[in-house]
Amino acid sequence: MTLEFDRSILGTEFDRTAFAPISAEEIRVYAAASGEPCPAPDVAPPTFVLRQRGDRFMPANIAKLGRVGFDAGKDIDFGVPVRVGDVLTAVSTVHDIYEKTGRSGSMGFLILRTELTNQHGEQVAVIDQKMMFR
Amino acid sequence: MTTALRFEDIDVGHELPPLRLTLSSAAVRDYALAARMPAGRFTSEEAARAEGLPGQIVPGNMSLSLFARLLATSLPGTTLKRLSATFRALVHPGRALVVHGVVTEKHCTDHGDLLECDLVIESAEGDRWVTGTATVRVPGVGSRVSGARG
Repeated sequence: MTLEFDRSILGTEFDRTAFAPISAEEIRVYAAASGEPCPAPDVAPPTFVLRQRGDRFMPANIAKLGRVGFDAGKDIDFGVPVRVGDVLTAVSTVHDIYEKTGRSGSMGFLILRTELTNQHGEQVAVIDQKMMFR
Repeated sequence: MTTALRFEDIDVGHELPPLRLTLSSAAVRDYALAARMPAGRFTSEEAARAEGLPGQIVPGNMSLSLFARLLATSLPGTTLKRLSATFRALVHPGRALVVHGVVTEKHCTDHGDLLECDLVIESAEGDRWVTGTATVRVPGVGSRVSGARG
């Protein structure tokens, strides 16, 4: 069975979130809970960027996929590190959508991209989240 | 004191000393809350079951963090440039897991000396729950040795 995707959502920005300045306490709590060391004082562990996702997790018209989805994976390209006091902005778009057919039938994949920048306009991270739909 | 590794000291095939741990339910909940992922499936056994899951699950983001922790502790002094993970199965607290990796490639580039690594989170029995890859930058110290995937 071929899945039907609405490819018009490609490139659509579905969230833009500006965060409050990153506090030392947020970094401390994340490092303690993850066990991931801080590279330097006042610098967050690398995967802290995953915490800064926007307010809206999925595009509003995702229902057009007509399937229940789950998180299949993530890919992070790291830019400059997150430091105490940084003011981060996350912009999320629909990056790609495609279908694969395997032994268990057709699967749809939706790639949601979040670009995280700091107050200097520097790229902090590009995070691709792969959602799979059956 | 931790000593930074040097690029020339690391060969393709270098195995990262594995992390062996069992995540408690409370540790997973604490991570989920610190990571702004308060969904019940990550914070409560009961809430996860109410969603139809077999029990509380470890957030995928926490698996990525375990990979980053492995790299930070086993390749000290390096900088993480890229990290990816494929979630192959649900990971639950209370089960022994092993996080390990191996260096697969070395590259000298205009952006520095880079190592490529393959990463795995698996059960003590060898069931692969999460697989991943990473690129780390090693502080350059002059050596220019390049290798291909072994």
